[in-house]
Amino acid sequence: MPVEFTREQLGEVTRLQRLYPDRGGALLPVLHLAQEVFGYISEDVEKYVGTLFDLGPAHVHEVVTFYTMYFRRPRGRHVLSVCHNLSCHLMGAQEIIAHLTSRLGIELGETTDDGRITLLTVECLCACEMAPMLQVDDRYEGHLTVEKVERLVDRLA
Amino acid sequence: MEFHLINHPLDCPVCDQAGECWLQIYYMKHGLYEPRMTDDKVHKPKAVPLGPHVILDAERCILCSRCVRFCDEVTRTGELGIFGRGDRSEIGLFPGTELANKYSGNVVDICPVGALTDRDFRFQVRVWYLESQKSICPGCARGCNIEVHVNRRRPHHAQGRRVVRLKPRFNDAVNKWWICDEGRYGYGFVDDPSRLTAPLRRVGGKTLDVSWTEMFTLVADGLRRYTADEIGVIASPKMSNEDLFLLERLVDGLGVRAVDYRVPPAQPGDQDDFLIRADRNPNSRGAELIGLGRSDARAILNAARDRRIKCLWVFHHDLLASAWPEGEVLDALLGAETVIFQGTNANATSAHAHLTLPAAAYPEREGTYTNFEGRVQRFRQAFEPLGQALADWESLGCLLQAVQGAGRPSRAEECFRALAAAVPAYAGLSYRSIGDGGQMIATGSP
Repeated sequence: MPVEFTREQLGEVTRLQRLYPDRGGALLPVLHLAQEVFGYISEDVEKYVGTLFDLGPAHVHEVVTFYTMYFRRPRGRHVLSVCHNLSCHLMGAQEIIAHLTSRLGIELGETTDDGRITLLTVECLCACEMAPMLQVDDRYEGHLTVEKVERLVDRLA
Repeated sequence: MEFHLINHPLDCPVCDQAGECWLQIYYMKHGLYEPRMTDDKVHKPKAVPLGPHVILDAERCILCSRCVRFCDEVTRTGELGIFGRGDRSEIGLFPGTELANKYSGNVVDICPVGALTDRDFRFQVRVWYLESQKSICPGCARGCNIEVHVNRRRPHHAQGRRVVRLKPRFNDAVNKWWICDEGRYGYGFVDDPSRLTAPLRRVGGKTLDVSWTEMFTLVADGLRRYTADEIGVIASPKMSNEDLFLLERLVDGLGVRAVDYRVPPAQPGDQDDFLIRADRNPNSRGAELIGLGRSDARAILNAARDRRIKCLWVFHHDLLASAWPEGEVLDALLGAETVIFQGTNANATSAHAHLTLPAAAYPEREGTYTNFEGRVQRFRQAFEPLGQALADWESLGCLLQAVQGAGRPSRAEECFRALAAAVPAYAGLSYRSIGDGGQMIATGSP
């Protein structure tokens, strides 16, 4: 797939760049857009995004490696981010994580062979009241039990 | 201090930066505590070549980002970045690229620690054994101010080289804090085995060592044997103002008109809008102002081919490696009855010389160059000449004495004083007024 935005997407890039006194401020949202469009931030994507900001690829790479929410390798169709910070930990996050790794047959940070699910752990997602919890794509799931996680995974296509 | 050292390896004994490391200096000044850190240090890539001249040890890096800023703000090439975050942050290149801009060596100078070191200087000699002398880079017409770092105290290190590295010396009007890589690594000829170390005379197929006294007599006799029109001189823009002035006096006294210094290089030099000049000679402006460009070098060679010029005196150039057809140059060298070569290193042209005069290289002597803007700058002697080599002004002074009975200058400064008195562009200049920062030639000069 050629790494290039469509005209509409480029229009969005321009809109984002105009939101900031220095258009460089739009680098993060444009990278998110790129991740949505191209699936993940490859080196080619970094180079391409750099050209939209007159930035060398090294500087885009700096930003991409600094933040954790940019994927530098292909990710699954769904991303499960399990919180393992204090509240979730106390409420059994380790059990959830152990179940997910054995159920999916992958380690943390890996993607299932069929490209269905990428499993991650994250620090606090600001939802302690529903601990233990995880984020599946853009959605929060709380008060997790092994059974609930099992049903959740089954529903993911 | 303690935070900086949490993940810094304690490898000063094997680190090239030791002795000129700011982290080490600050630790000795403000630290000197027992380490309290009990956790393992974070490990990062070590001994990673970033490009032809620079090698990275990411563990030693304190993430000051000076090198990143240099590539962004000075060269505007932006190769380097800081990747990752927290204690896993590291300096690096975008995957698949290298640090190969024309000024890359400067990141080694500005790196305060041993994270970026010089592949050329690495493991050659400890910096505290080095001596330093102020000099001028002879690599192009810019005349960047440099320091020559000399290894005299550890002659068994660095393959016995005396010059082990060049460092830029700050001059706001010329090169700021920087020099280009071509200049920085262009000192090899000084300690090269091709250096000429004794006056040589070639008779028939044999090459004989002769003394300087004999050599001066041979050259003086040779010059007297021919009429002024039978002598051709190709001076060099690599010679200092002092050398060129004495040569000018000599050829002027003899009435020689076939004198030039301009020999086009086989590959035209590139130029940029920062430091590098297309003219790869340090003193073309000086040669022009002193008046050595009164003829045309190619016409001189043609005259030698036609046997009109019988004595050809070539300074420093390798005419056979110039832009001119090799056959033409060879005919001229073979056509002349007497070929005199004067220079620091043997080359294809010197192989055809009947008389060879060894010249001291720029760190072995003192003098001044005039850069393309007309700034006269001093370079100083860092160490003695190799073998019997003499500074050009010294050998030319002896020849002036032998040919014209003139007094012989004993110091380069005397030559410069005479130059300042004789050539209007240099009026009012002296070694003292030139100082360390250089001085512009008189305004209104060409």
